[in-house]
Amino acid sequence: MKNRMSQGKLGLTSLVLGALSFASVATFAAEATTAKPAQAQQAPAGGGIGYEKSFPKIESGKWTGPKLADGQPDVNGHWSNTISNHSNFTDPNGGIPGDPKPPKTPLPPRNERAPSRVSDPADGQVPFQPWAQEKVNQFHVGFHNPTEPQYIEPLARCAPAGVPKSLYWHGYEIAQYPGYVVFFFNSGTRIIHLDGKPHLPENIKLWNADSRGHWEGNTLVVDVTNHNGKAMFGRSGEFISENGHVVEKYIFANDGKRYNYEAVFTDPSVYTRPFTVTIPARKWTADEKPNGWHFETRVVNVPGQGPTIERDERICAENNGGFGMGAEKTAKK
Amino acid sequence: MKTNLNNKPSWVRKLGISTLLAAGILAQFGIATAAEQSIPRLANGKPDFSGIWQTTSAADYGLEPHANRKDAPPFIGAVEGNTIPYLPQALEQKKKNFENRATDDPSLKGYTLGVPRGIYYPEPFQIFERAADINIVHQFGHSVRTIHTNGTEHPGLEDSNDWWLGDNRGHWEGDVLVNDVKNFNDKTWLDRAGDFHSDALHVVERWKFIDPNTIEYKATLDDAKVYSRPWTISALLHRHREKNFQLIEDYRYTTDYDQYYPPQAGKK
Repeated sequence: MKNRMSQGKLGLTSLVLGALSFASVATFAAEATTAKPAQAQQAPAGGGIGYEKSFPKIESGKWTGPKLADGQPDVNGHWSNTISNHSNFTDPNGGIPGDPKPPKTPLPPRNERAPSRVSDPADGQVPFQPWAQEKVNQFHVGFHNPTEPQYIEPLARCAPAGVPKSLYWHGYEIAQYPGYVVFFFNSGTRIIHLDGKPHLPENIKLWNADSRGHWEGNTLVVDVTNHNGKAMFGRSGEFISENGHVVEKYIFANDGKRYNYEAVFTDPSVYTRPFTVTIPARKWTADEKPNGWHFETRVVNVPGQGPTIERDERICAENNGGFGMGAEKTAKK
Repeated sequence: MKTNLNNKPSWVRKLGISTLLAAGILAQFGIATAAEQSIPRLANGKPDFSGIWQTTSAADYGLEPHANRKDAPPFIGAVEGNTIPYLPQALEQKKKNFENRATDDPSLKGYTLGVPRGIYYPEPFQIFERAADINIVHQFGHSVRTIHTNGTEHPGLEDSNDWWLGDNRGHWEGDVLVNDVKNFNDKTWLDRAGDFHSDALHVVERWKFIDPNTIEYKATLDDAKVYSRPWTISALLHRHREKNFQLIEDYRYTTDYDQYYPPQAGKK
């Protein structure tokens, strides 16, 4: 048992080493060069945002890991993105586009920052039609001084983070049940139906769209329709419309420690061609210390069994609590 | 060997018929026993409430018995003993809430309904059950309540927050799920008639199959700031069995601003 735990930590160390976490992306250049393994093993204090400059490709293929009783690969657990957050979709370590207060320490060159989440086309940019690019450009200005309601990112108003932004907002839980894979996100819930029923009627448009999935070996393939197009991909303003169609592949490594999200986004009313989004993810375990961001949980002891991970309620309406959450400290009564 | 009842002596035929009759009578009185055996169960033998559920009760219009009004159908009531035992000051507050219900009911803003209101609100919810926990996803607000059934206890005061849906710790008493819920905020109502609670609310829920497609739901509410004694609500929950039925996310609170998104060609 001890052995397994320390191996788990070793495996993590390499991740965390590359993935020191910061509230501010700008500080990472300086800190990364001085990072010591001992420090890296410490969970980030106060909630940080990790990054990797690169990540392994995971091939679609056979699943050789544990399976659930209904035959699904067992990928239950707590997961997160490994690169920054939703500040910038195509330059995840680049800070919010158009920020009038740029970081004091200049950013490292682009090729030393994490790659764009757009993996195809090769330039890493969303192939917007000119009118749509113009809207994104306007958002880059308007976001920092929103004089019009459309310049407020809907997530800041407690709207669900949507597809795909939920995957690089806070950490989340994947829970599997016969016929379902459920994503319990920080902001919103996605129920992926595995039973082959048809999509909802197309006039029903949803923040998290409508998801139909099936397993192909180690890969969960999900067909996503019925977007309302409102959630945006980040503070950088990219978007899809309600005509959009996404085919997602969640490709899980057979050791159960990582998966890569590879999804093709198609929307002839907004883009000039389909494009591919790639988002790496990693699993967290009860051996690790909650950090308020990627592993935003509490570890509790189950009598007679040892530590387990609990996830707090995530409820946000009209930004009714600290950092958009609904909970307040229990008063001493 | 084939047998034909018609070829038997008449006393055999009579016996056959009376056996059938007796079986019928047993079936009448033995429903609960049959149901106990046929209810869905997890691999560990515990009742499996997984599925999509909704009540046909009018409890959300007002838990206490009431005649019809412009904004509600008449209802025989869901409170055992009919009356919620409010303390005098709290009763005054309830009356104010009732007068102002058209603007003050938190559900009208799309806010999370709370416990137990989310269970008898007239929208479906889905239960996802495992051995260690039971997740309830409400269509309304898509809010998620996790009932821990792994033997853990409520967190101590140092670690506890006030939640919209409370801190939920369940255990099994035979085939009944008994869920102890506390650490609530005071932002939710119990119905659209202004029945309410404080942050001292403590709820004990009892979930029990009465047949494979019906759950008997009971919630006992205790709140020393608002009620003079604990009191109990009950409702039946019915399984949705329509073809292709599913939850459809209902983030109602986003409807005040969702017209500003997404950007559209030719629009400002």
